Amino acid sequence: MIFNSLTFLVFFVAVLALHNAPFFSWHQKKINLLLASYLFYAAWNPPFVILLWVSTVVDWWAAQWMVRAKRQNTRRAWMVISVVVNLGMLAYFKYGGFLLDNFVSIASSIGVAYAPPKWDIVLPVGISFYTFATLSYTLDVYLKRAKPAQHFLDYALFVTFFPHLVAGPIMRPTELVPQFASKVRATAHQLYFGLSLMILGLFQKVVLADGFLAPVVEQVYDARQGVPTMIDAWVATLAFSGQIFCDFAGYSTTAIGVAMCLGFAMPDNFRFPYAAVGFSDFWRRWHITLSSWLRDYLYIPLGGNRYGPARTYTALMGTMLLGGLWHGAAWTFVVWGGLHGTYLAVERWLKGRFAGFKPGPAMIVALGLLTYVLVNITWVFFRAKTFTGASTMLQSMGGMADKPTPMIALLPMIYALVIVGGIVTTHWAMRDKTLEIAVERTPAWLVGSVLAVMAVAIVAEQGKGSAFIYFQF
Amino acid sequence: MPSSTSSSDPGAGAGILSREGALPAGLRLTASQRPGQAQPVPTRDIPSQPWGRIIVGVAIGLVAGIAALEVNARANIGLHAGDLDNSEITWTNEKLRAAGAPVAIVGDSRILFDTDPDRFEALTGIRPIQLAIHGTSPLTLLEDVAADPDFKGLLIVGLADTMFFQPYDGYGGYVHRFAEFRAPYRIASNEIDHVLQRRLAFLDSNYRLSVLAHRLDPNFRAGVEGPKDDIWKVMEVGEHRQAWLWDRVENDPAWRARTRWAWKGFKEKFPYTPKLIAKGQARAKAAVDKIRARGGDVVFVRPPSAPQLRVNEEAQVPKAKGWDVLLRNTHAVGVHIDDLPAAQGLTLPEWSHLSRKCSAVFTDAYVRRLTELTPRLKLRADAPAPLGRADCVAGAATSS
Repeated sequence: MIFNSLTFLVFFVAVLALHNAPFFSWHQKKINLLLASYLFYAAWNPPFVILLWVSTVVDWWAAQWMVRAKRQNTRRAWMVISVVVNLGMLAYFKYGGFLLDNFVSIASSIGVAYAPPKWDIVLPVGISFYTFATLSYTLDVYLKRAKPAQHFLDYALFVTFFPHLVAGPIMRPTELVPQFASKVRATAHQLYFGLSLMILGLFQKVVLADGFLAPVVEQVYDARQGVPTMIDAWVATLAFSGQIFCDFAGYSTTAIGVAMCLGFAMPDNFRFPYAAVGFSDFWRRWHITLSSWLRDYLYIPLGGNRYGPARTYTALMGTMLLGGLWHGAAWTFVVWGGLHGTYLAVERWLKGRFAGFKPGPAMIVALGLLTYVLVNITWVFFRAKTFTGASTMLQSMGGMADKPTPMIALLPMIYALVIVGGIVTTHWAMRDKTLEIAVERTPAWLVGSVLAVMAVAIVAEQGKGSAFIYFQF
Repeated sequence: MPSSTSSSDPGAGAGILSREGALPAGLRLTASQRPGQAQPVPTRDIPSQPWGRIIVGVAIGLVAGIAALEVNARANIGLHAGDLDNSEITWTNEKLRAAGAPVAIVGDSRILFDTDPDRFEALTGIRPIQLAIHGTSPLTLLEDVAADPDFKGLLIVGLADTMFFQPYDGYGGYVHRFAEFRAPYRIASNEIDHVLQRRLAFLDSNYRLSVLAHRLDPNFRAGVEGPKDDIWKVMEVGEHRQAWLWDRVENDPAWRARTRWAWKGFKEKFPYTPKLIAKGQARAKAAVDKIRARGGDVVFVRPPSAPQLRVNEEAQVPKAKGWDVLLRNTHAVGVHIDDLPAAQGLTLPEWSHLSRKCSAVFTDAYVRRLTELTPRLKLRADAPAPLGRADCVAGAATSS
């Protein structure tokens, strides 16, 4: 189920009640959470719970046998088994159709007419997220960064814990498993602040992303006919930058709030990314748990920056291309990753070339805006469904469209620009702070008023349960 | 166990800045600052605030906000509790009920609004399953039912000629994504939504904050048709998708005029070429044959439209080329509004749909005619007396 659904509201109240019930032992409460998490996942498609079980059992035993193995080859074999099973499931469900389509295209290009049956496999929700979470368990054990979990229940709950299960933050076992070791229950203030985070997250998702930004984006990106004007193309792309942030950061904030209401801590996933100056800074602020996962389990093993510039740039580009593919089985996502890889590589080269350069405040703002504009260029490939669509958008954004037509009405355009402007301004105001610091320094009446307005806006928007964008990844 | 959250009860005297692990600006380290190592249990700060009072204030504000929304929805907008959203999930619920049902209805908004299932049931003892969807090609829905091997009953296809032959599915294209709407959580959410909608008027998707905000644009920007031009609320929906014209459109002259204007005379932007109509006829025949092959049957019904619309509809898809050929090709029986004397001169407040009372009169007329045309529908021995124009049009002569 999704956070912005009435079913989740009922589910969450029930889970809170069970978690705080005085007559359950801690062991029983963990079982309750595990069952609730399976129910949470099964609410999409019950049979796919089996995939969770496969992933859980395989990685549990792989880690167990890894630590018992006396020879390095045996350890490596168990690690490989874990990787193959997890990535195999991911490849089958997520990339099977993509691979088949590409195979057919290649065959066709060399004159072989191959027409396989349609690949009609439903993508299990959140498979990319929990696959990476479980992989980090066996990889950490293999790399001897962490010991395996002591209890199967704790490990199974780590994999399945519903706040992070389907769209992150991508948690590492060392972040969550220790929290299951002894009884956890939220204090009253944790519960209230957790609820406040949920209101903030749902406001971002339901009101800003779905209510005000998505229609503007769809008006242009999903237009059946016509080419957008330069203004329409830019407004739609800027609106998408706001939509995807509010959608995904909104999910993460809600997830953190949900976990906090139960007494658990989850890591930051976003840190005001549109105030980034440069792309390495951007990736320290955007989807932090994914970028750090890719760094720790892909970039560093590929050599990182330890073997000279050529290897570094290759590792960087490889990591970002695969990171792009992680987001979706389409070449447009690969290009999105490739653009980010290129940005990172160019930035790295420039930093080496101008090592002593210290930008002043105005230059920092200018570089920040340049970063934001370039990030928006990448969003075109992220949002457009085809290269033709992306090309049309880029031409329009560059003022080179042939016979463009206006597409967005003025008020929706103003709403979108005000919201996106507000997001970017807030990010700059908060770039060296945390939300908690800002809340602590705000008068209580204002905090309460803002939360009340957000809560009423969520109800007024109704939020008919549209899925989060990142669920498809 | 490592501590995962910082205590910050008011009065504890410790702000975030002074807490263990906090960086000078109150920042926490994230995984991005810890490369190549096991990530520790995260630290989450709780800002020092009187959270109990804040939450009580938020709850009071929320209740007040909901009350204001509800009062405004009822008093100023004219929304009603019990008006259930016509959601995709509800449609799939009915689609499942249609399997094995003796009678189902597909079509566009006309047959949806203009059929009174209570009257249908009173006449025949059968309550039809309502599968019509507003703004949707009836052909799309006919094909959808044809593809369902479990439906072996009588399918009533209600149509406006232009909607039937249009080259795209329209609003109800979602029927092709049936499985997407059968996720257990969506079904449960829909049920909870209905429980609330039976009591609260403001839970109407037309009354969403963003929808209202977008409609404030009176076409400020040249060349762009703003949301204000779109149809806003036209219908109310009851249990099992029983639908009727929203009473405000029916009774408020301003709303009526606005809706009439929004139809733009049903002048479509694309041409109904002979090729397009022929393609539709072929699709219809294939679908009807498919249903008949497994023991079902299909009849067609053409509900009324006001002369202001009818003239344009006829110009685009003439009856002789659309309706007549459709019946001939499919060997199906049909009931056209032109052939129902008892249903002439009914009230069409916004030109396209009947008033709620008149929908009962039209239903009475077309169902009686169908009982004469198909053995699958029989008039009950204790069926009520026929209705006529006088039963729904003020000042009209006594029913015939």
